[in-house]
Amino acid sequence: MNQENAQERRLTEDGVREDLQRQPHLFVKLAENALAVAESLRNNYFKNTTHFVTALRKAMQAASQGKRSDPPLTVCKIDGADWATFQGEVVTFIDGGVGRVQISSQAPILLRVGSYCVRTGERRLAERERFGYYPVILGDLEGGNKERKDFPDIVRITAELLGGLSALERTPDLRVLMFHGPLVYLMGGYAGHTPFSERDIDLFLHQYQPVAELGRQLKEDFLHEAQLDIYPRMVPESADEWVKRRVFEPLSWIAYLYRRLIREAHQRKPVPIIAGVVERGELREFSEKVLLERVFRGLRVKGNADYFNQMYGRSDLTSPKALLDRLGYTDTLLLSMLLQPGEFSEPWEIGKYDGLSQGNVSLPGEARTGIVDFAPLKPGKIGFPRICGCYVHVSETTEPVRVEVFSELGPEQIVEAARRTYLYARLLPGYGFPVGLDIADKYAHVPAWLTDAYSKLIQYHLGVSLQRGEISDAEMRRVLVQAIYMTHRDWLFRPKT
Amino acid sequence: MATTPDQQKSKRYVGTLVGQSTSQEFRLAVAHETIREQDIIAVDAELRRPEDNTAPEKIRVWAKVQRIERLNPLFPAEAGHELAATHTDPFETVLSLSREMVTAVCQVLGAEPLAGSAKGKLDHVRYPPQPASSAYRPDSKDIARVVLGELQQKEKRGLDIATLSNRPEVDVKVDGHAIVTRHLAILAMTGAGKSWAARRIIEQLAAKNYPIVIFDPHGDYTGLANVPSLKERVRRYYAQFPVFEQAPETVVAVVEGLGWNLANTHRSMFDDFFQGANAFISGAPEELKKRTNWLSNYLGNEKIAYYGLKPNLFFLADFVQAVVQAGGREDGDALNQIVEWSGREQLRIKRQVAGWLEGLPNNLRVAAKRLRQMEEISKRVAQASEPLPLDRTQLVRYGGISVVALAGYTGDFQATIYSLVADEIFTARVSDNLRLPVLFLLEEAHNFAPARAEMAAEQRSITTTRQIAQEGRKFGVGLILISQRPSRLDETTLSQCNSYIIMRMVNPADQNYVRRVIETLGEDEARILPDLDVGEAILSGQLINFPVLVRMKPPESKGEREERDAFESLEEIQASLTNAARR
Repeated sequence: MNQENAQERRLTEDGVREDLQRQPHLFVKLAENALAVAESLRNNYFKNTTHFVTALRKAMQAASQGKRSDPPLTVCKIDGADWATFQGEVVTFIDGGVGRVQISSQAPILLRVGSYCVRTGERRLAERERFGYYPVILGDLEGGNKERKDFPDIVRITAELLGGLSALERTPDLRVLMFHGPLVYLMGGYAGHTPFSERDIDLFLHQYQPVAELGRQLKEDFLHEAQLDIYPRMVPESADEWVKRRVFEPLSWIAYLYRRLIREAHQRKPVPIIAGVVERGELREFSEKVLLERVFRGLRVKGNADYFNQMYGRSDLTSPKALLDRLGYTDTLLLSMLLQPGEFSEPWEIGKYDGLSQGNVSLPGEARTGIVDFAPLKPGKIGFPRICGCYVHVSETTEPVRVEVFSELGPEQIVEAARRTYLYARLLPGYGFPVGLDIADKYAHVPAWLTDAYSKLIQYHLGVSLQRGEISDAEMRRVLVQAIYMTHRDWLFRPKT
Repeated sequence: MATTPDQQKSKRYVGTLVGQSTSQEFRLAVAHETIREQDIIAVDAELRRPEDNTAPEKIRVWAKVQRIERLNPLFPAEAGHELAATHTDPFETVLSLSREMVTAVCQVLGAEPLAGSAKGKLDHVRYPPQPASSAYRPDSKDIARVVLGELQQKEKRGLDIATLSNRPEVDVKVDGHAIVTRHLAILAMTGAGKSWAARRIIEQLAAKNYPIVIFDPHGDYTGLANVPSLKERVRRYYAQFPVFEQAPETVVAVVEGLGWNLANTHRSMFDDFFQGANAFISGAPEELKKRTNWLSNYLGNEKIAYYGLKPNLFFLADFVQAVVQAGGREDGDALNQIVEWSGREQLRIKRQVAGWLEGLPNNLRVAAKRLRQMEEISKRVAQASEPLPLDRTQLVRYGGISVVALAGYTGDFQATIYSLVADEIFTARVSDNLRLPVLFLLEEAHNFAPARAEMAAEQRSITTTRQIAQEGRKFGVGLILISQRPSRLDETTLSQCNSYIIMRMVNPADQNYVRRVIETLGEDEARILPDLDVGEAILSGQLINFPVLVRMKPPESKGEREERDAFESLEEIQASLTNAARR
């Protein structure tokens, strides 16, 4: 079948069905959805989805041929993504993981952030690659609410961000900084943690600072800004006390680090590409706010607002949200069916900060709580940065990955990030995820599901660090030795001989 | 600037014990390229004796690196396939190429007190070394001591034949006593350095005056005589096929092999001719002279009288011709004379029978001519004019090396000559007629002790070799078997060898055979056989304390087959021809 025929076939229901059947991940997801949705939607779920996707593909095709002016989705081809184009680029991949060491503590004992820095085209191995990993012992931190399930996450996000900032500051020619996961998380959910103490921050900075002075400066700069702008707006009543006690409210500290990262990037020429790449995302914001919003509007324009109700035999499919709720569609599911490998979706600004409102917070070592307003941390002078995202489809056998960049660093960021994401992920077509992040993940992560070989590697490198005396703190050494050699809970608590 | 003990230790550090450690094997996490397979390393440990509350004993566990595993877990196979499909150089990508886990799997050789008071004798390790212990590269002096083992107290037995392959500064001496009494096999493919190794051993044994008899099918050992220290000791013999020491049916087979098949009449009379000729030539010297002259006159062949009678096929042909001539002419006197001297009444043949036998002398002469040709080649390769002595025990001399050149002969002739000589010497040792012990070296041993005998000659030589392999130790007769096709060697004979020098070997059948038959050869050692360099060898068995990878030291002598560049030789010959023409 030639390319033209294949393209025509894509626009038929049979063609869509073949596409779905050829992609097991899609087929399984649709089958799962079909079982999970209401009984009235179940019978024709697959058929109606095929019908809907066919209509969307046709509309997109018509728009690309100039036959209609209101495309439901604009798709871009990834051009010029070849290794020859990106030779000599310095790329750093950052990933954080939580060690599943079996101990009695509620919180995992060890959090690791790994960085993998590589210069493409460099043949001298010593010059080509640089690995770093930064262990943080969660039990040592005074701040954060350890009883909360998201406590390791808030620490990991902070540690990853510091890792990224550190990589940027110590690598003058850094071209790409790529994080595993969202560039910025949905921060509302993390509000309300006890602020970190200065000692906590010193623990973080001990591992990350390129030079001691920069770390100290980072801390002082934040406290200065906190005194002037941040705490008076977040905790007007207690700002003085917070400043006096030199505490670091986690979200404002993270927002500050983002701003610092962007400021540092802005000073470089060319501006480094800073991106987060998300696999297996459950986000449906793009579908709700962009894709289906346009679909519903188009239907209303055509006087066909009841299209979905008629198709599914219901009466409540009247909005994008309702449609997504009832049918279980997500961004990656819909875009898997609409994008072809080597394409990325039009970028959109992702709403990351809807949940930032008021919450109760207690200071380290205190039981009483006070009200804190997190709304000032929405994008603005002291807030989090705006995030722009798109979906990149790497291969037929994988779901599209979401790429996120800082809007402030310019419109070319998303295109350049998509090109590199695609190129890096092409090396793992069965996984469809940038290989560098996979490497950082393997290097940094200590989860139970890691294969034996990977855990051996980590043990090996920890062992080498121990031998070289790179980990000087006696307690840390002890813990790491345990991390290397102990796999069972009972083993750890054997009395010392 | 002098280095501190800590600096020295750090310099010698090779890795750290990881994972499960047993008293037979442990694994080492090692840095990239700090160690090689077959390296000898050590780990210090402390062990308390059972039911002993005194301070723990400090011991050194010796181990050998059996194999090294390299793994880059950060380089997924999937990415490799993608690179291959797109013809992409991995260095151009963001793939990680620098991180590798290098793990050395080490076989525990034994342990000794750290102070070294055991003088190289290694005890069995009964408790595994501690995980996270550091392994280090021992001093050359210590390694030499341990490799030598108990031999260092019996220095006279040591043969200096090699150096450790990975530590050229460490000399490896082997137990000469084990070689001469309990047999040695040198096994390798062609060109791997077997003869080189054997010559080194011979030179070392000769320095200890051990009598050696070499059966040399290719002239590999002729160069021994050129070594100044061996010049007076080496005697080279060309071999003659002793026709009249064979059974008549063997000689029939030889004649048929070298000439034409015998007709039925010839075959039926052959036994009488052979026995008759043997009796004819066995007379006392004066009597023999008389018979020679008679034969010469009767056949009208002056050469017979001139050269005299020799117990070979030419004589047998002349004898048969005389019988045929006498029978054909119905010459009663001549027939009477022949019958008298041969003691065979059956040779009084009629005219008709003589007619039938007319072709036999010619056939015998053709075979004789070819046999002589082989003898000539043997003589030339041996660079010797001395034939094998009739009393074979003369080959065994204190400090002497007798090289029996078998080059030029086909396999069955070589086997026959070998078995006659070896059997006679062995019998002499058994009956105590020969006082000196002896070591036989069998080059191309698969021809003398093949796994399957296809000819009577081979069967006889297998029997001889087996007997020496099994009982030689009791009678001071040792064997060095050298073979490029071990899988064709007789299994019983090979398994009787207690020492082995195994060199490069790529034939899978040979590798499997060697692995199966040689108990002291480990799986990992067998695995590296195809990767050995020329001159590298694994020493295994009683000649050494534990199996080691060595590089054989060069012998002083050169072999006939150490070939010169063919094109250089050609140019030299052409130049000499041109010079000769000018002159």
